[in-house]
Amino acid sequence: MVTNVTSLGRSGLSDWLIARVSAYVMTAYLIFIVGYLMLTPELSYTQWAALNSSLPMRMFSLLTILSIAAHAWIGMWCVLTDYITVRLIGPKATALRIIFQLGMIAITLLYVIWAIDILWGI
Amino acid sequence: MILFFSVAIFLWLLEGSLSSEQGFADVKDIFANPLCQFVIWGSLAALAYHAVAGIRHLIMDLGYGEDSFETGRATAWVAVVVAAIIIVLVTGWVYLW
Repeated sequence: MVTNVTSLGRSGLSDWLIARVSAYVMTAYLIFIVGYLMLTPELSYTQWAALNSSLPMRMFSLLTILSIAAHAWIGMWCVLTDYITVRLIGPKATALRIIFQLGMIAITLLYVIWAIDILWGI
Repeated sequence: MILFFSVAIFLWLLEGSLSSEQGFADVKDIFANPLCQFVIWGSLAALAYHAVAGIRHLIMDLGYGEDSFETGRATAWVAVVVAAIIIVLVTGWVYLW
């Protein structure tokens, strides 16, 4: 059994809830983007840059990247704790898993920072 | 796992498309390159399947489709079919338009 030291939420239930809330946000964003792309054929740079520099869209995108980060952290934590375990590969599993988890968390945070730079760097 | 790294691809494309007129054109060229088309298609297909299966879970959380094992299997197959349809549309979008 693994402890929840490196998990995002305070408990399994809190991870469960965060995953759902972030899922709703991302689904809304996905529907918006697909709808927007379908409704604006021959999308031009000026249109696309205008959309993404409006404050509401920046807020929505930021909310979405934060949701992606939380969702990914919880999801990847599940993957890593399912497969890199002492039961499956022996005592060194814990150290190996921690390394993968810290790498995953670092990449996730980098995604957030990179997205902020993209959105506010226009 | 594919989705986790595809976030990097999507961010990279977003960065390019917003950087400048030239960047936007570069992204269009990327969409024309066969290898990049395949990578983008794969990422979008993985996203489509994940989203459909996820939405199925959200629906089940609301209490629908939880009657028995059979309904569970049935809705799972519905999700697979819906995802396949979306992936076909994605294929069209990436390769044709």
